[in-house]
Amino acid sequence: MIGKTGLTVRLGLVIAASVVAAFVPGLLPNLFYVHIANLTLLSGIFALSLWIIYSVGQLSFGHAAFAGVGAYMSALLSMRLGVPPAIGVIIACLATAGMAVLLGAVILRLRGVYFVLVTFLFGQMFTLLALNWSDLTNGANGLISIPAITVGGFSFGPRPVFFYLAFAVFLAVLLFAWGLKRSTFGRAFDSIHQNIDLAESCGIDTARYQVIAFAIGSGIAGLGGALTAHYIRFVSPDTFTFHNSVAFITMLVVGGRSLFWGAVIGAAVITPLPELLRDFEGLQHIIYGAILILVLRTLPGGLISIPSVLRRKGGGR
Amino acid sequence: MDILALLPQAGLNGLVIGAMYALMAIGFSLVFGTMRIVNFAHGEFYMIGSFVAFFTYAQWEVPFALTILIAIAVVGVAGAAIEWVVVRPLRTDELSSMIATLGVSVVLQNGALMFFGASPRPMPDVVSGLVHLGPAIFSASRIFVIVAATVVIGAFWLFMQKSRTGRAMRAVAQDQEAALLQGVDVERIFPFAFAIGVVLAAVAGVLMAPVFSVSPFVGATPMLKAFIVVILGGLGSIPGAVLGGLLIGMIESFGATFLGGVTADMLQLGVVIAILLVRPAGLMGRKEA
Repeated sequence: MIGKTGLTVRLGLVIAASVVAAFVPGLLPNLFYVHIANLTLLSGIFALSLWIIYSVGQLSFGHAAFAGVGAYMSALLSMRLGVPPAIGVIIACLATAGMAVLLGAVILRLRGVYFVLVTFLFGQMFTLLALNWSDLTNGANGLISIPAITVGGFSFGPRPVFFYLAFAVFLAVLLFAWGLKRSTFGRAFDSIHQNIDLAESCGIDTARYQVIAFAIGSGIAGLGGALTAHYIRFVSPDTFTFHNSVAFITMLVVGGRSLFWGAVIGAAVITPLPELLRDFEGLQHIIYGAILILVLRTLPGGLISIPSVLRRKGGGR
Repeated sequence: MDILALLPQAGLNGLVIGAMYALMAIGFSLVFGTMRIVNFAHGEFYMIGSFVAFFTYAQWEVPFALTILIAIAVVGVAGAAIEWVVVRPLRTDELSSMIATLGVSVVLQNGALMFFGASPRPMPDVVSGLVHLGPAIFSASRIFVIVAATVVIGAFWLFMQKSRTGRAMRAVAQDQEAALLQGVDVERIFPFAFAIGVVLAAVAGVLMAPVFSVSPFVGATPMLKAFIVVILGGLGSIPGAVLGGLLIGMIESFGATFLGGVTADMLQLGVVIAILLVRPAGLMGRKEA
């Protein structure tokens, strides 16, 4: 637990980051960088939501599929039924969470490995449906010219403008995850993660909490997916595949799984990586996989554990 | 089409893919049963097996039996090495080891993509001709796959039942500490079990290379099906893997013949979820401790 001063410092950091963020779109040299910044914020939302699921000791291998469900749902609501995207995004978030509750109820009794396998299968089922339910999803071609999010005639379509929306949502999710961690829920999550049998014997309804965490995490992923759809104005079965689920897991591992800050740092490091590695066409994914294995082997706590590792080394001198 | 001619065809195809799924699922289940590790790279060893088959059999024209032996040697050594270097240090953490195998999968698949390119390569049949069984006519190459897979599964079963190492593996699967107390060298069993598990996937890859084509991405579907099969049959259960493999193969084949491919895929997932609701540990699985 962090003390009161620690909390103030951290809150100060968040506020400072917001102030800096206000100038980011103006400071970046061109729109491409703004685009990368936007994608990083969206990744941050996905990684944070995956962290919420991980915080009860579960890992979803179909996280991108929930993002995809949200993306298709919000896009279709706005294109077919004329629902304003700002409302469609919220409906997509709630509907995705509801879907996770249904799936969670089916796999309620499954732990660890079975849970992972079923989320993986769910992801495959999503890709299969998106490809083949052509009447709804337009198959492999995907949905094009999805409307941008507009509120009261103000469009969040342009990249520098979308940045502020993405940042606001990211910040909301971050504060939500933080609040969750400090709440009774968070403490129950922690105890389940540390020792599920002990938690259960202490009277914590572990299955219920795991479904709740799964629903919250998946719902936020749906929200992030919907935002992505209205931002890049396009969604296809290739937008959210198993590879994206792997990328979200990589962010969590590389950043550090023990705290939600790790998810944020992982997203910030991993998302721009493909642009930096552009010269190594082909090698790119291999480097991804190698980083994953290397971090697991040499720095299991992820990047956020570097200070404590250094401190331990320094103390030994 | 004449339904009486379709039925035996669909049955035979179901047996072919069912045998392949069974091979994949047995290896996957063996690794999980003995080491408690979910190997997300399992499909890539199928892919390596099919590439070995392509290069040795189709390119260099070595005898098919030798092709299988080369694939077993290559993938066996690679599997043991991966267990030693990547999996071993993470074995105490179920999720970390699973993520590590995911990394292995990404590296292997994209490595193959870089060296061999994405375009699928066709592979010639091992045996040709037709087999007449009553009114039905079957292609001999399909029957060959079924026979070869049966022989491999039989040999594996004999190995697990009779040999010292096989018995040691079963002991470790049942209770690692008790096996250790009985003098089983668990540290030596693990790379061995991992190697045998992925070798079974490679054999499936070799046998199926002429049926499907050969490319860096061929491992994905068999692995997906192996997951479905082990959930259906029960994680860690070898008989469950065989039964589940055949069942899924039949559903897929008959479903694809009479209902269309997508419906068949959906049907499989539906069956799996239904079984999980009724029997969470799978058809033949033990309850998770």
